[in-house]
Amino acid sequence: MGRADRISGIFWLVFALFVCIESYRLGLGTLHKPGPGFLFFWTSIVLSIMSLVILFRAWTEKKTGEAKASIFGKQNTLKILLVLISVFLYALFMERLGFILVTLLLFVFLLGVIEKKRWFFTVFVSVVVTAISYLIFEIWLRSQLPKGFLEFLRF
Amino acid sequence: MEIIQSVLYGFQVALQPINLIYCFFGVLIGTLVGVLPGLGPAAAIALLLPSTFKATPVSAIIMLAGIYYGAMYGGSTTSILVNIPGEAASVVTCLDGYQMARRGRAGPALGISAFGSFIAGTFAVIALTFLAPLLAGIALKFGPPEYFSLMIVGIMVLTFLSSGSMIKALMMAAVGLILGGVGMDAISGKYRFTYGIQILADGVGLVPTVMGLFGISEVLENLETEIKRDILTTKIKNLLPTLKDWADSIWSVIRGTVLGFFLGIIPGGGAIIASFASYAIEKKTSKHPEEFGKGAIQGVAAPEAANNAAAGGAFIPLLTLGIPANAVMAILLGALMIHGLQPGPLLMKQAPDLFWGTIVSMYIGNGMLLVLNLPLIGLWVKVLKVPYYLLYPLIILFCLIGSYSIGNNAGDVIVMLIFGIVGYLMRKFRYDGAPMVLALVLGPMLEEALRQSLILSQGNFSIFVSRPLSLSFLILAVLLLVVPIITQRRKLSTLKE
Repeated sequence: MGRADRISGIFWLVFALFVCIESYRLGLGTLHKPGPGFLFFWTSIVLSIMSLVILFRAWTEKKTGEAKASIFGKQNTLKILLVLISVFLYALFMERLGFILVTLLLFVFLLGVIEKKRWFFTVFVSVVVTAISYLIFEIWLRSQLPKGFLEFLRF
Repeated sequence: MEIIQSVLYGFQVALQPINLIYCFFGVLIGTLVGVLPGLGPAAAIALLLPSTFKATPVSAIIMLAGIYYGAMYGGSTTSILVNIPGEAASVVTCLDGYQMARRGRAGPALGISAFGSFIAGTFAVIALTFLAPLLAGIALKFGPPEYFSLMIVGIMVLTFLSSGSMIKALMMAAVGLILGGVGMDAISGKYRFTYGIQILADGVGLVPTVMGLFGISEVLENLETEIKRDILTTKIKNLLPTLKDWADSIWSVIRGTVLGFFLGIIPGGGAIIASFASYAIEKKTSKHPEEFGKGAIQGVAAPEAANNAAAGGAFIPLLTLGIPANAVMAILLGALMIHGLQPGPLLMKQAPDLFWGTIVSMYIGNGMLLVLNLPLIGLWVKVLKVPYYLLYPLIILFCLIGSYSIGNNAGDVIVMLIFGIVGYLMRKFRYDGAPMVLALVLGPMLEEALRQSLILSQGNFSIFVSRPLSLSFLILAVLLLVVPIITQRRKLSTLKE
C-alpha cells in the first residue's frame, strides 16, 4: 500500500490544513465559551498528525519492494467513468426533463450503450423499469418525483 | 410486573394490522436486501426512509428495524449457495456454508442458519426487554460530560474493531466529525463550511452520504470485474436439520448468541465483528478444528446466531442512550429524529408505544422470518440469478430516487453521487466508511455535549475526569487506543528478533 498511502496521506494532510485554517477563521472562542470553530480546529490538528503518520509509514516501507501495482484496474475504468457521467447528467437534468424521461434515457444508455444489449431488449426493459418504478414511487409511495416539461401530462 | 405490562402493551401496538403489514414488508425487503449482493441494510434503510414519511413513527421504525434484522437472515443464503456474502456480516458463513453446499448439504446449512438466527434473534429481543429499561434508568443520571465521554468510547470501539488499519479508521472518524459540522452552528448561528452552497446549509445529509458510500461505491467497485457466480443447480432438500446436526451445533448457537448480543450492545461493535469473533471461538474450542473450512456445521451455526443476536443488541444503545452503535443504527436515529422523536433515556417514557411496539415487533418479525425463509429459499435462489447487468442499473436507480425523495431536491442527488466517488476511492485506498458515518451522526451531538460541559465547568476540562462515570468511559477509550499500539510494537520487536 506504499504508493496508495502516500497519495491518500497527502490528500488528507491538505484537507486537514484547509479545515484547520477555516476553523480558525470561524473563531475558536475561549475555553469558557467555545466558538463555532473550536472542535473542528482540534479535530483537524489530530487528523493532520495522523496523515503525517500514514505518510511517514508509507515512505519508510517503500523499500520493502512492493511491486508498482496500479491502484486502479485498467480493464473497466472507461465503463466506470461512463456510468458516473451518466448518473451525474441524470441528477443535473432530472428536474428539467422529469423523472420518466431521464430514467428512460439512463436505462437505454446503461443497457444499450454500456452493456451492448440488443436494442429490443434494451427498450423493453427500460420502459418496464421506468413504468414500474413510477408506479411504486410516485403513485403508491407518493414520493413526488420531478415531472419536468412533461408536467402537462399529469397522470 | 411492570415489564410484563409493558410487553403486553407492546403486543397491543405491534399486533395492530397496519403494524403487522409494515413489519412483514420490512422483514421481506430485508431478506431480499440480504440476498442481493451489492445492496446492504444501511443503504436499503436509507433508501426506504423517505417512503415512511407518510406512516406513523411506530410503523416506520417497525419496518426499518425489520429490514435490518431481516437482512441478517437473508445474507446467509447467498453465502451458502453462491459463496458470495449478501452483506458483510455473513462473510464468515461462506467458509463452511459453501463447503457444506458443495458436499450436498445445502439444505441443512440453510436450515441451521435459519433456526440459529431465530433462536439468537429471539434471545436478543428477550434480553433487550429486560436490559433496556435498566440502562435507560442509569442513563437518566448522565449529564453532558458523560455523554461526551461515552460517544468518544463509541468512536474508539468502532475504530478498534475496524477491519483495516486502525489509524485510517481514526482518520475517517475525524473526517466524519468535520463533515458533521457542516451547516449552521446551533449555538452561534454562524454558517460553517457551506461556502454559499444552498444544499449544505442544513448540513451534509446522512441518507445521501450512506447511499453514496455503501450503495454507489459498491456498484462502481463491482463494475471493475465481472462477478462470476456458480449457482448450485442441485436441488435443495432436507432443510430441517437432523437430530445429529442439532446435537453438533446447539452449543455453537448458544455461544454465538451470547457473544453476539454483548458485542452488539457495545457502541461500535455490531454484527460483522460478532460473526468473525464467534467463528474464531468455535474453531478454537472445537475438538476437530481441522474440519473448519471444509463444511463444519458449527462454522455456520455460530456466526449466523452471532450476527442476529448482535443486530438485536445494537438496538439497546440507540433506544436507551440515543447513541447509535453502528452505521445502520445511525440511520435509524436519523429516522426517529425526522419523525419528531428524540432517542435517549426519556424515549421509553415519552413514546412507550414506539419503544415497546418496536421491541415486540421484533419477536413477531423473527417468527415471520422463520416461516418466510424456509419455504421461500427457492425464490431467493431465482432472485440470485438476476444478472448483474440488470441489477446494477436498478441499484443505481434506487439510490437516485431515494436520495431525491428525502427532500425533493436534486442537490441531495449530487451529494450522494459525490460520496459515491469518495466511497469508491476510499475502498481503493483501503479506508473504512463506517467510522465516518458514525462520526457524522455523532458529530453534532458530541459538539453540543462538549460545549455544554465546558460551559457547566466554566472552561475547566477536569469536568471530564472528575466525574466517576465519565472518567471510566475515558479510561476505556484510552485503553482501546493504546492496547493495539502496544501489541503491535511487541509483534514488530519479535519479528525483528
